Amino acid sequence: MTVVPVIYVKGQYNHLIARRLQELGVDSYLMPPSTPLAKIDAMGADALIMGGGPQSVRSLDGLTQELRDASNLMSETKLPMLCICVTHQLMATTFGGKTNLARKPEFGPVEISVEDEDAILEGLKPSFTAWESHNDEVIAVPPNFKVLAGSDNCAIQAMRHERLNMFGVQFHPEVSHTTKGVDILKNFLGIIREQS
Amino acid sequence: MAVQGFHPSSFLAVETARLEETIRTGKAIAAVSGGVDSTVAALVAKKALGDRLVPVFIDTGFLRAGEPEDVKLRLADPAIGFKVRLVRAGAQFLEATSGETGAEEKRKRFREIFYQVLAEEARKDGCDYVVQGTIAPDWIETQGGIKTQHNVLEQVGIDPVSSFGFKIIEPLSDLYKDQVRILGRHLNMPGDMSRRQPFPGPGLLVRCIGSVSKTKLNLLKHATKIVEEKLGPFNYEQYFPAVIENRFAKNPEFKDLKDAAAEALGLPASETHVDVFEDRVTGVKGDDRIYGRLAGIKIKEDSRETFGWLPEKLRQAQVSIINRSPEVTRVAVMVKERRGAPALSVVIRAVSTRDFMTAAVATVPWKILKDAAESILKTGGALRVYYDITPKPPATIEFE
Repeated sequence: MTVVPVIYVKGQYNHLIARRLQELGVDSYLMPPSTPLAKIDAMGADALIMGGGPQSVRSLDGLTQELRDASNLMSETKLPMLCICVTHQLMATTFGGKTNLARKPEFGPVEISVEDEDAILEGLKPSFTAWESHNDEVIAVPPNFKVLAGSDNCAIQAMRHERLNMFGVQFHPEVSHTTKGVDILKNFLGIIREQS
Repeated sequence: MAVQGFHPSSFLAVETARLEETIRTGKAIAAVSGGVDSTVAALVAKKALGDRLVPVFIDTGFLRAGEPEDVKLRLADPAIGFKVRLVRAGAQFLEATSGETGAEEKRKRFREIFYQVLAEEARKDGCDYVVQGTIAPDWIETQGGIKTQHNVLEQVGIDPVSSFGFKIIEPLSDLYKDQVRILGRHLNMPGDMSRRQPFPGPGLLVRCIGSVSKTKLNLLKHATKIVEEKLGPFNYEQYFPAVIENRFAKNPEFKDLKDAAAEALGLPASETHVDVFEDRVTGVKGDDRIYGRLAGIKIKEDSRETFGWLPEKLRQAQVSIINRSPEVTRVAVMVKERRGAPALSVVIRAVSTRDFMTAAVATVPWKILKDAAESILKTGGALRVYYDITPKPPATIEFE
């Protein structure tokens, strides 16, 4: 059985991510970001998904303990990783990109235009509706990352590392109103299975 | 904090074993409201405890007309088989919440009285445990600071033993509403009960926006009956009215909202009007609680006739208003108004949702909304009727 812990950073939908993964036949649990890497390895984790949360991550200096732990975990783990909402932003900030206050924050349904289907967005061109809830956004991807999708009000809705299996999405694939969200989770699980 | 894949029979086996191991030969009170969550939680507990489970229903005074008696009868159905003890505590709840306008303060006072009353009942019966129907969204929203649900203590650091003298058991705390309904059916619950429309624990208290009063409660009971009757046949996952006082904020930054609405609707500014209510309502933006404002759009009657419902344009107006003023968390559109008194508005809300974590505005046929509005205005209790056009997020499903 595929094992994918969900890193809980107090977001509204973190628990739903685990539920969706369970529905896809994956063994999934909420775990705090302070969980030692050795423990995650000992569980036999095949990948990590990190959820959203209410924090702001515009700089690494102002992080809450929780997000500092999440940032460290991102840097240390070699596992495939999908980061959602605030941890998508944290991924950008951690690896040398930029997060800032969104010019137009997005809440509820948003049309996502797919530029590059690279792995997690496979089969989703040209666009799909996703639900969002964010005040901040990624304004520059880190070196060696590329943009996969954008929306009218937010240019970086999805990104990935050029070679490594590190993915970030601003929208919420885990909520039921993102009807294609489950395809994105399946695509991510497909990448893990290919690798192992 | 494990999340189980959901199979009702294995879920039941695990939870009853856990209950047997925890409570052993002790007794427990089941706090039941007649809703699907608390009834299913009590049914799970009954499997483990049998007659050592004492179902208690608290009449908070914030229930719908005739509800306590109705619930007692429903739960006595042989398929459920609960002999429910009815505790009348309406006066206590009203006294504790009167004069309070803040949504969180109202909810916290409600929670305090709720557990005091339960503690008293538990003492009478020598029960060390209280079984309650807390589900995942309850603790997620409470822990995330979005809103205090009345049935969440331990997850926000309140120790029920030292505060109230009993331990709490929540067999459904990892489930969502749709899973609870599946479990209910698995437990042979009658279909009308496993599908029952949700009703918040604090009930009409949190649908009286701002301070609670007998006048508002009265109007709300009438309006609830009308809305349930007119919208019921559409099977939306949730639909209900709330009441708000017609007092409006005059802040200069709200002046632009009319233009934002008119532009999105493609109407002249002279045919649109936006009022921002003084009393605050709860929202959730970027996983953070926002205690913000409700904006009411009014479109000139003849534009409305040619205009119809047009959910997409109204959706754009809602997005545009909330972008223009971050303090606004909700937008409603006026359905109908009349002149006179009292200065109250009814806001109807209807949403479609699978798990109550996100919610889309239901496109109720305009004629149905108009019918409901006319009936509500005819009661003489309100001057205006609106329809809430905000998804969750940025609004929550309930107003407080």
